Amino acid sequence: MMIKKIDKNQFKELFDKLKENYNIAAPVLIDKNKKTLVEYHYIDDFDKIDWDEQADSSPKNIIFPQNAPVGNDYKEKQYYDTEQDTLILGVRSCDIEAIKTLDQVFIEDEMYIDKNYKARRDKITLVGLSCPQRNKSCFCDTLGFNPVESNYAPLYIFKDGNEFWIKVKDKKFESVFENLPDGNQDKLEELIEKRINTFTESSFELDIPIPLPEKEMFEADIWEEMSEKCLGCGICTYYCPTCYCFNFIWEGKDGESTKYKNWDSCMFSTYSAHASGHNPRDSKEKRYRNRIMHKFSYHPLNYEGLGCVGCGRCIDRCPVNLDIREALKLTEKYLEEKGGAKSGKD
Amino acid sequence: MKKYEKITEEIVEIAEKLLKENTVEKVIGFGIGIFTEEVTPIFISNPENADRLVFNSKAEMSLAKYLLNYKDQKVAIVAKPCDSRAIATYLAEDLIKRENIKVIGINGCPGIENNTACEECDIRNAVISDYTVGKKMTEEEIEAKLKDKEDKIEKMTPAERMEYFQKEFERCTRCYACREACYVCYCEQCFTEGNQPEWVGDSVKLNDNFTYHLMRAMHMAGRCVNCGACEMACPEGIDVRALAAKMCRSAEELFDYRAGIDSDQKTLLSDYDVNDTESGFME
Ligand code: SF4
Ligand code: SF4
Ligand code: SF4
Ligand code: SF4
Ligand code: SF4
Repeated sequence: MMIKKIDKNQFKELFDKLKENYNIAAPVLIDKNKKTLVEYHYIDDFDKIDWDEQADSSPKNIIFPQNAPVGNDYKEKQYYDTEQDTLILGVRSCDIEAIKTLDQVFIEDEMYIDKNYKARRDKITLVGLSCPQRNKSCFCDTLGFNPVESNYAPLYIFKDGNEFWIKVKDKKFESVFENLPDGNQDKLEELIEKRINTFTESSFELDIPIPLPEKEMFEADIWEEMSEKCLGCGICTYYCPTCYCFNFIWEGKDGESTKYKNWDSCMFSTYSAHASGHNPRDSKEKRYRNRIMHKFSYHPLNYEGLGCVGCGRCIDRCPVNLDIREALKLTEKYLEEKGGAKSGKD
Repeated sequence: MKKYEKITEEIVEIAEKLLKENTVEKVIGFGIGIFTEEVTPIFISNPENADRLVFNSKAEMSLAKYLLNYKDQKVAIVAKPCDSRAIATYLAEDLIKRENIKVIGINGCPGIENNTACEECDIRNAVISDYTVGKKMTEEEIEAKLKDKEDKIEKMTPAERMEYFQKEFERCTRCYACREACYVCYCEQCFTEGNQPEWVGDSVKLNDNFTYHLMRAMHMAGRCVNCGACEMACPEGIDVRALAAKMCRSAEELFDYRAGIDSDQKTLLSDYDVNDTESGFME
């Protein structure tokens, strides 16, 4: 492992050098007429980067875009994104863990490897950012993630005022950074320790078994209460860094068509509608149940980890402020009243 | 601010009484989240919880649509003046039963933060109500509240307008929050959801986004009550309300029609008058 320490101007120079070989995406402030939001965008100006705010949208948009052409199977021509190598800069722990979730599903699952996702993902390098402070609704620590450092990114930045510590965890990148001044490992450990201490108080206490017991929770009578105010829009899933449901759609005209892999959302009433007209999730409580259960039961049953990283975006962006933490608390209470629950794996 | 607090007190009092006396099974209103300070719709059935109800400048959602989930139950609903217009329209469209609902109407609505619709609001008092809270605003007071704001979109040339809406709709992710937040959009199947024919392509391309917004705007004519819930819901900060608001102004100019002024009124599209002007039609 290599540790470097640079100041803002040195980082700026580094950024301009990196630009020659990489597309660089980072959180930037965007004026969106009625709202101003921080989002991941491709940039070429270092000064535009917003280091302080958790982005309102996740880097999923870059790794797994809402609409991605994947070629036309009928013509046996596969379509892969041929983008340049990309660095996503300033990704916080929650989003790094979320990308791990996406990787698990699309690449690491032996059952099926999504070649399009893999082709794009292989060109993307995550540059993590040690979380400077909690956002108003996030709760990654409650779910057991470490906001200060995630091991899933090969490069990691610790920002301390105008100083940047860079941890180069993957040998592959050492040559890029080798000419920069070294950082003192002990000093960095100190900084990390200090930062961990700012997070000692958990954002909220939660005691639920993971995975949630599938059958018991499926039949629980809490879903109606939980979802009573839900409108059934796509926001919580579209802006969630881990949600990965998609549809294949053919679009085109005059006999030519392209196959697209487009986002879907289990909160849409059409999500599981069958051609016959039957819909196994024909009410919003069933759809809401699916969303929670996928994250806290089905995903952990099938993969390691969770389908939710506690980024809090679904809370902040929901038009009716439906709070997933309340749903989890209600789950906790329900299972407690049932006399203590076993996890779905027991 | 005092006004909001006063309204909150009155709402709590009425809700508690209605629940205690079993006049209604449920009160639909605004509350505060457990973990946040944000306003969120709440559904109260226990009179002891009535004090969870609030009204403040962040009560941006339109609650009217929830009435459709309780068609056969006796419920009370807290309604801002614009929401009371939505309820009146539901009654006019024969979607809910008058005897099943108790409207706690807000008079002298002080407005919602960041909701541009409030700057244009000349209603300010509940149009229908069984109980009122707040203090009725006089016409002079309403007039004084109206911001003398020129409509920047009306002033644009067609080319500028095209550019403006292109910039707006190109950001649309078609999360459909605007549709779901709007009281008008209660169709069992939205035109966006059918594929025989497929009116709107699934991918978020500019032309399909335009199709979605233009078609939705058509369905708003004479029905939109300018509550701004669509705009407030949009995660992309898009000026979603602009087209619907334009349809409202047109309905008013051409047919002297306003949605949700009276629960007995005929709906715009189901009524016909030989003196109707046909100007504007396919112009
Ligand atoms: S964002 Fe909120 S209203 Fe929309 S589907 Fe999710 S929980 Fe429901
Ligand atoms: S479910 Fe909500 S809190 Fe969890 S990862 Fe998704 S957006 Fe973040
Ligand atoms: S099923 Fe729902 S919760 Fe799970 S990934 Fe898909 S959209 Fe997200
Ligand atoms: S809420 Fe905004 S982003 Fe979502 S569909 Fe409506 S205009 Fe598009
Ligand atoms: S279109 Fe927008 S402003 Fe009009 S009624 Fe619907 S939500 Fe309200």
